[in-house]
Amino acid sequence: MVAASATLSIAAMRSLQGLAGALAAGLFLAGIAAPAGAAPITPTRDDEVIEVLPASAGNRGEDRDLRKRLAARPDDAKLATAVARRYLEQARESGDPRFAGLALAALRAWPDPNAAPDEVLLLRATLEQYLHEFDAAVAHLRLLLARPGSERQSQAWLTLATVLRVQGRYAESDAACRQVAGAEIYQAACLAENAALRGETAAARRSFETMLAARGLPVSTRGWLTTSLAELEERDGRAGAADAAYRRVLKLGPDTYAAIAYADFLIAQRRPAEALTVLKDEARTDTVVLRLAIAGTLARSAAAPRDVAEMRERITLANERPEASVFHGREQAMFALVVERDPERALALARGDVARQREPLDLLVLAQAAHASGRREAIEEARRLKASIGLHDRRIDALL
Amino acid sequence: MPCSESVLACPTLPAAWRSRARAALRALLALALLLAAGLAGAHKASDSYLQVTAAPGQLDVRWDIALRDLDVALDLDSDADGKLTWGEVRAAWPRIEAYALRRLAIEGCPLASVGRGLERRNDGAYAVLMLRSPCTLPAGAPRISYGLFADVDPTHRGIAKVQRAGQEVALSVLEPTAAMAAAASKPGSATERASGVASGIATSGSTALPSADARSRTTSAAGRWQFLLEGVRHILTGYDHVLFLLCLLLPSVMRRTPPGWQPVERLGQAVWPVVGIVSAFTVAHSITLGLAALKLVSLTPAFIEPAIAATIVLAALDNVLPIFPVRRVVVTFFFGLIHGFGFAGVLAELNLPRADFAWALLQFNLGLEVGQLVIVAVATSVLFGLRRWRGYPRIVIGAGSALAIAIGVAWLIERIGNVSILPL
Repeated sequence: MVAASATLSIAAMRSLQGLAGALAAGLFLAGIAAPAGAAPITPTRDDEVIEVLPASAGNRGEDRDLRKRLAARPDDAKLATAVARRYLEQARESGDPRFAGLALAALRAWPDPNAAPDEVLLLRATLEQYLHEFDAAVAHLRLLLARPGSERQSQAWLTLATVLRVQGRYAESDAACRQVAGAEIYQAACLAENAALRGETAAARRSFETMLAARGLPVSTRGWLTTSLAELEERDGRAGAADAAYRRVLKLGPDTYAAIAYADFLIAQRRPAEALTVLKDEARTDTVVLRLAIAGTLARSAAAPRDVAEMRERITLANERPEASVFHGREQAMFALVVERDPERALALARGDVARQREPLDLLVLAQAAHASGRREAIEEARRLKASIGLHDRRIDALL
Repeated sequence: MPCSESVLACPTLPAAWRSRARAALRALLALALLLAAGLAGAHKASDSYLQVTAAPGQLDVRWDIALRDLDVALDLDSDADGKLTWGEVRAAWPRIEAYALRRLAIEGCPLASVGRGLERRNDGAYAVLMLRSPCTLPAGAPRISYGLFADVDPTHRGIAKVQRAGQEVALSVLEPTAAMAAAASKPGSATERASGVASGIATSGSTALPSADARSRTTSAAGRWQFLLEGVRHILTGYDHVLFLLCLLLPSVMRRTPPGWQPVERLGQAVWPVVGIVSAFTVAHSITLGLAALKLVSLTPAFIEPAIAATIVLAALDNVLPIFPVRRVVVTFFFGLIHGFGFAGVLAELNLPRADFAWALLQFNLGLEVGQLVIVAVATSVLFGLRRWRGYPRIVIGAGSALAIAIGVAWLIERIGNVSILPL
């Protein structure tokens, strides 16, 4: 990068950038010292809009008011959790991790988890789950659940069960599921999910179908139950049943998680063009752009070069933080494997990823990278990891 | 106006006519960039970018901070409509600088602002802070204490690239420390002044950040050359001045002889007339620029702006068909007087510091001359290289001048009638 040259003072570089105006007029051809991927903005009018802020969850003035009130009373737990929950919702809706950071900041009055009120601690753990800091999330949830009277904390048990499941600790997850009280369906679904992962397929399928047969089920509940069923069928190698289940979910309404899962299924079924259709209305979050790039590459679509370039740029930008390749290891490994056709890099990324999270997709990507690399010890490693978790997944069996 | 400290990113256009011309071009560029940004809209975590360039006796820092992050901390969006306008950002700039500068300390190097800018990146618009310190960075890993957004987003990081003369770029990730942010949030307190120490870095006690007063003093000292850059920028982006100069230069590598245009033999034959013309233009616009800046003479832009357009038309016309009864140098001088008033209009908008008025004026003028020299040097070299081409008289001088006449006339009409003709 020219900008890094020590011989140019930064002021001189800026004056070079001043040349940009002249360049625009076609007068000169000279190098401009600007960071890669950045372009100077030179506004000319006060009413020129230079940035559109991300949409607010509710009313923008209300956001600001909440922030101000919290700044005045940062240790008001009720207010702090309200602000944090609002940001967490925004993070989930938009896939924008900055909101998770803002939510954590709202809880900053309780740096010591031992001194944090229950609801603050739960929210903090949930945010850590969102940020893929699973070990921290588990530690904080266990701390919360060890408090007297906390056995009624169903939400905390459910979150703990989910995080443990993501880590591939199914037995511990089962134990947490059993503590979930109140709404029975949550406990049943929690246990059925783990059963399905372990390969108790018939029982899990029956369980999901029973739950789905209930009348008056909220649409969102029906959505995630059916998604779980679709994933079960997919792992069990029943493509037709999985396809039908995914379609049922998407018929219920927009569902980003299900759309991405279905797209992955379609890509695996060598139906990349259909994957593109499924994703066409989704917001372009990293996970969506990744699938567009992969499916587009496989389908040789016209938009593929753009999506590939964009994904590559996003990865480059994210990796300016060294820990990012661990954070987004799964996605980066998928990109390296399918788009960049670099199995060695994919394998390294996938290994880093499974050290942190062990969902079926993480193991599948590891197995695919190991298979593509042709390394016997990598294949053996993937097989051992799968066995140690106790995951049942015929897609992975086919590769190892 | 906060723009008084600006180097590059402030609007500095003298009159509505010219600003509209440039605004049209910039709007197009901005639109293209916005489209690109809209397509990208990447969701990444909050990062700021620091480029630290260390030379003996001088440390420069370019610090890019996302506007959407600053909005959370400082409520830049004053009308809460979800859109950050240039006016809102500009009005908030002193707060941005104050907020940021309290949250960054580099051991042994008190930082002062010397400039600003805006940058569009993949994930949105960034404020660019140019900081400087008259210091030599101590050897070893630089001790940077960082507290940006610690109170707003603990997942925020600063991505620092440190470049020492003759060495590899060293990359480091700065995690905001709450201690520094806590100290910074108590403005004027003793902790603020000692926040370099409070952030926990082992120091020799000399890294305390300058207080607000000290900082603004050092700003004016360190930003000593900002008006020079303003001058350079103004001439380089002032298309009408550039076009006028080009018109004068087109025939400079040729001589008028009875059978027609003939190329000059040696560079010297071209250089001296160019020097004469440029000197005349310089002396003349310096006179009127000075007179207007000192408020001794004042002419309305309603006259000056169309008159500048007219000088282009006449100069270009003279290339095709000699119309001036006197030597070009003399004509250039008179036209230069008119352009000087145009420069003065910019100067007025720059809001020069009263204390250093003469110094700032001199800088601005020197900047104009430096920019002008660049244009002249490039244009003359190109034209000199082309002079033996058979088509030079017809294409370069003839068609070039005709084009200049057309643009000049269009500007003339635009500026008299206050209408918009050219897309540019």
